[in-house]
Amino acid sequence: MYELFEHTADLGLRATAADLNTLFAEAAACLFTAVVEDISTVRPEVAVTVELAGGEREYLLFDWLKELLYRSDADHLLFGKFEVRVRDDGLTGSAWGEPFDPARHVLSHEVKAITYHGLVVERTDDGWLAEVIVDI
Amino acid sequence: MSKGAYTGPLEKVDSCCYRIPKAYRPDMRVDGLIFANETLIESIRKDQSPDQVANVATLHGIQGASLAMPDIHWGYGFCIGGVCATDPADGGVISPGGVGYDINCGVRLVKTNLFLDDVKHRIRDLVKGLFYTIPAGAGKSGRYKFDTTEVRRLMGEGPRFVIDRDLGVARDLTHTEALGRIEDADPDEVSDHAVKRGSEQCGTLGSGNHFLEVQVVDSVFDADVAATFGLELNQVCVMIHSGSRGLGYQVCDDALAQFRTAPAKYGITLPDRQLACAPATSPEGRKYIAAMRAAANYGFCNRQLLMHQTREVFASVFGRSWEDLGMELLYDVAHNIAKLEDHTVDGKKKKVWVHRKGATRAFPAGHPEVPEAFRAVGQPVIIPGDMGRASWVLVGAAGSMERTFGSTCHGAGRAMSRTAAKTMASGRKIEKELEARGVIAMASSRMGLAEEQPAAYKNVDQVVDVVHAANLSRKVARMRPIGVIKG
Repeated sequence: MYELFEHTADLGLRATAADLNTLFAEAAACLFTAVVEDISTVRPEVAVTVELAGGEREYLLFDWLKELLYRSDADHLLFGKFEVRVRDDGLTGSAWGEPFDPARHVLSHEVKAITYHGLVVERTDDGWLAEVIVDI
Repeated sequence: MSKGAYTGPLEKVDSCCYRIPKAYRPDMRVDGLIFANETLIESIRKDQSPDQVANVATLHGIQGASLAMPDIHWGYGFCIGGVCATDPADGGVISPGGVGYDINCGVRLVKTNLFLDDVKHRIRDLVKGLFYTIPAGAGKSGRYKFDTTEVRRLMGEGPRFVIDRDLGVARDLTHTEALGRIEDADPDEVSDHAVKRGSEQCGTLGSGNHFLEVQVVDSVFDADVAATFGLELNQVCVMIHSGSRGLGYQVCDDALAQFRTAPAKYGITLPDRQLACAPATSPEGRKYIAAMRAAANYGFCNRQLLMHQTREVFASVFGRSWEDLGMELLYDVAHNIAKLEDHTVDGKKKKVWVHRKGATRAFPAGHPEVPEAFRAVGQPVIIPGDMGRASWVLVGAAGSMERTFGSTCHGAGRAMSRTAAKTMASGRKIEKELEARGVIAMASSRMGLAEEQPAAYKNVDQVVDVVHAANLSRKVARMRPIGVIKG
């Protein structure tokens, strides 16, 4: 589950999931719902793999989203499907998507960056919660 | 999710300034000062931006006070509209968060010798021409592509690099802050990732609050200064608001990653991780400063290329050369930047790092960095407002050197979150509403237009009233939009 929440000048991403792997995948999907109006229009035609090291979960989530944003901006790709394996010392993530096609994709925001402000990855009664504010 | 209003102290200093006393929190090193009038301060209390002013007051080596301009609003780490000066000789820090992701986001104003009557029948053609020529919005590459070596050279030379390729003229440089080239930039400190993002984006507008507007001078407040600036009633101008695009965002990102361990290493306790900083003289600090300056030079270049494309569109629509149309650059100012400047603090002259995060340099008459053409009156200050109401041209005033490290406001400041603005726009046609107000707008994203609607912003006139009354910068001319292109 994920949703966008409000922040004066920017946007907040909020994801909840039963486990960390799903949480990281949902947070990535939430990021791309801020980028493209309808994430279901993004076809899983190319895959990228991301390997990250780091033991601190909040920084790991930050780095995962930051890497996806970089690949999206530098290679003009949109992503719509994600799988992540979070370990104690890092993660392996995959993202599926396709090059931006103005005929089929309506972009909604240019996300400039992921911020550390209000960055949260925490346990809840029924799983995990992540919150990230992105710069628009 | 707004986490509620500010509940701490705000003491009235005078009719346009409020203080958060140092005693508010044990970790504050200096007071916080917010420039606002009674009306604006009530809306400022409603979010956490005053707490962000207090957070900045904890930074090592901060001088004077943690300052906020009347367009202050809740940011991440630093508030937007914040000014913070640190003394490197006193352990003063440099903070990438105090500059922002969009390094050298800024504004330039291009004059024309056309008047409202010359343009009003052509405004649709003009807006269409601008919209289809100038890449705007997410995912757009520009028509100027530079390889890795060229991007690095461009960051070293600033707009001179593109002017040498006939994309402008030498006099554009004298009307750009720092002559368009901040010294001691080191493009080799900019990562390959950043260079890659920058290679196709120079000369693109971007999205969010960035815009290009055709404006008309709506009122003149200071006839002498306006004459020096070459502005008169009903004259048509073009305002360009953009920054250093993906390259700048990546430089900030890279620095924040490098600064993660800096607080522990240098014994700094941070109230918010986004305030990550390091002593300006530390290896981490120096590296960031060199890369930030290079990204700033890219930002000046980006606006130079946006202006060049604007000149081409005007020339094509009006069938005359841009020189013949008098399309001279009035001035280009940065409003997200950190600069090493000379200031007097407690009677002592010092070199301090002035962080301007959504604040504009506003040097007064006689300052050596004000271009010669304007030195007798002061530096032109360009204040973008919202797309339905107004923008402003101000002139730097003496109070800025006394109270705000040579700074003033940078815009209207948001009054409403993006989600709230979108909800409010639901079922409405923002383009039609703007057209009824005499503004032709084209945007690449419907959502962008909804989020950036005039009601989402504070009234820029009120913001400008405060900086005028505080003598940080003084009113010269009010500009009204007639054509808008947005990302």
